[in-house]
Amino acid sequence: MATETGLTDRTDEDRNVLERWSRLAILDSDRVYRGLFAVIVGFFLLIALFPFYWLLLLALTPERLFSDLGLVPIAFNVASFIEAFQVVPFHWYMLNSIVMALMTTVIVIVIGSVAGYVFGRLDFRGKTALLLAVLIISYFPPTAFLIPVFNLLTGNVEVLGISSPRLYNGPGAIVLPLSALVMPLAIYILATFFSQIPDGLEDASRIEGSTRLGALYRVIMPLAAPGVATIAILTFIITYNEFFFSFLMTNGEPENWSPIVWGITRYQGTRAIQYNLMAAASIVGVIPMALIVVLAQEKIVSGLTAGALKE
Amino acid sequence: MANVRLDGLYKRYEDVVAVNDMNLEIEDGEFICLVGPSGCGKSTTLEMVAGLTSPSEGTVHISDTDVTEFPPKDRNIAMVFQNIALFPHMDVYDNVSYGLRLRSVPKDDIDDRVGRAMEILQLEGMLDRMPAELSGGQRQRVAIGRAIVRDPEVFLLDEPLANLDAKLRVHMRTELQRIQRELDVTTVYVTHDQAEAMTMSDRIAVLNNGRLQQFAPPLECYDRPANLFVAGFIGSPSMNQVHGRVENGVFESESFDVDVAESGVEDDTEAVFGVRPEDVYPAWRTEDVTEWSRGITTTVDVMEPMGDEIFLYLIPERLSRRGDAAVIEGEEGEQQTLLMAVDPDADVAEGDQIEVVFDRTKSHLFDAETGEALVHSLQPEPPEVEKGD
Repeated sequence: MATETGLTDRTDEDRNVLERWSRLAILDSDRVYRGLFAVIVGFFLLIALFPFYWLLLLALTPERLFSDLGLVPIAFNVASFIEAFQVVPFHWYMLNSIVMALMTTVIVIVIGSVAGYVFGRLDFRGKTALLLAVLIISYFPPTAFLIPVFNLLTGNVEVLGISSPRLYNGPGAIVLPLSALVMPLAIYILATFFSQIPDGLEDASRIEGSTRLGALYRVIMPLAAPGVATIAILTFIITYNEFFFSFLMTNGEPENWSPIVWGITRYQGTRAIQYNLMAAASIVGVIPMALIVVLAQEKIVSGLTAGALKE
Repeated sequence: MANVRLDGLYKRYEDVVAVNDMNLEIEDGEFICLVGPSGCGKSTTLEMVAGLTSPSEGTVHISDTDVTEFPPKDRNIAMVFQNIALFPHMDVYDNVSYGLRLRSVPKDDIDDRVGRAMEILQLEGMLDRMPAELSGGQRQRVAIGRAIVRDPEVFLLDEPLANLDAKLRVHMRTELQRIQRELDVTTVYVTHDQAEAMTMSDRIAVLNNGRLQQFAPPLECYDRPANLFVAGFIGSPSMNQVHGRVENGVFESESFDVDVAESGVEDDTEAVFGVRPEDVYPAWRTEDVTEWSRGITTTVDVMEPMGDEIFLYLIPERLSRRGDAAVIEGEEGEQQTLLMAVDPDADVAEGDQIEVVFDRTKSHLFDAETGEALVHSLQPEPPEVEKGD
């Protein structure tokens, strides 16, 4: 049979690389899967990492050499990373973004965990309807809320003669809408995690002397750490990366809580765009995210293993 | 130190009444067991004492204070759970000291109390272990440690031994009794195991379908069961129960007749005759019995040697004469064979015909309709019997 298919007609020396590889692949199908895996993963890595490479290339190339820019670095101008901070107070924008992302995370965790507790561990009339309402809200595109929310937070809505707060150019204008946007997801995920903590543990905590809220923060949340960490990281990333509200709720001045998005656009002058500085700023802006992902990954993994040990 | 009083306690869920008019007075330092089959409301009752479930009606008093509306933390109680419920993310020290830390007890005091509890429970040197690293018995002891370290007024235990293996269970049972005696704390213990209830408690509260059936010391529940349910539930194997009718001073059934004229039970009563297996004797050993019934001829159906005694399943002659298997098996699980316990050296074999008698001072009659006990002896005045063994 082997002779008929021609697989053994020739010796390996007669074949080229591709022929050799395909012959081995026919004999061992795992090779095909490994090969496909490598190709697909390579493709996605390329798509994900090429922009970074390009940013780096842009940042390292002085403006006057842009016309010669190819795939290979032609200069190594690290100075643009410093210049970026000199031209625009980019550190200030970053600080704004980080502080607002942290504020959003705290709000979402505090309120979301209480709501998650209620939905996940208590039984009350209308629970399903309420949870469904929360979910439905989360299905709307955030853009749909933009104009009303803008009106609300710029003091243009009046209820019973009381004007809504003027939060434009303040952290509240970004933190509040984003907290509200992330909240449904947080409630849903936390409720699922909390509902899996055995009742006995909460009862034990309450008998030992804590309130329900005390039991939530001392026992339930530590045991649902992977879920809480997931939500915290997700909220931070969403807020830090967010464009829409961040761009529209501030006027772009760093002292007015304008976030990174604004900072990057500041490299765009009336006559020229300083692409190399913009690229350098973008790379610096990504660093906190990268740090969080690396650190949080460890936290999530340790949280998962701690969860695995419980009875 | 505290007494516990439950007054007209009800717990209704949408379509079930889990606890139905529960009234209990538990005295200071007493060890009582709530015992009953699954779903009888014993755990719900305990949860209402703990404050984890609020009653639909009625009040709970601890130390003569109405705590019905108090959250669990203000009731000064401690509880050990069936699933142990140690906090898996805390080590033994943190678990045991949890309640004390919540109450901001000074650190030295905490160390002192934890140390003492660990000594009582023989857990020294385990303080930095995590619950997952402990054996079942150790976890159970840590859970008990967490409960006793706060010096609670009332100690609640919800089937704490149910998840342990048989040998450890017996060991922990005596251990618990020792600890309870040492601390002299009012204790409410929930179990479905009547043997646990019998051996440990000062008084037993037998529950069924959310209702209190009897609340009495273990031996009284055993010797003078208030109704058919208690008679069947307390004691293993359970009491023989034969349905019949009292007619002209004689209890008549499909299996046998017993003269009950002297017991004072009225004629024309649908009744259930009850006698424990150990109060059925072979006729040749009647020297043990003070007052015995007329002999009944029976055939040995099945023998169950237990080692220290043998259980014989007997078919009364009257039944076997009818030869109807369905009658012998009984309809709807109604017992037709008679269970007897004999010494292991007794010379009997399956298929033998033997004559048996009942100890009349330990035979019971129950009202067939209500299940309430009518008499606990067929003698007019039960003489002081010293049970020979």
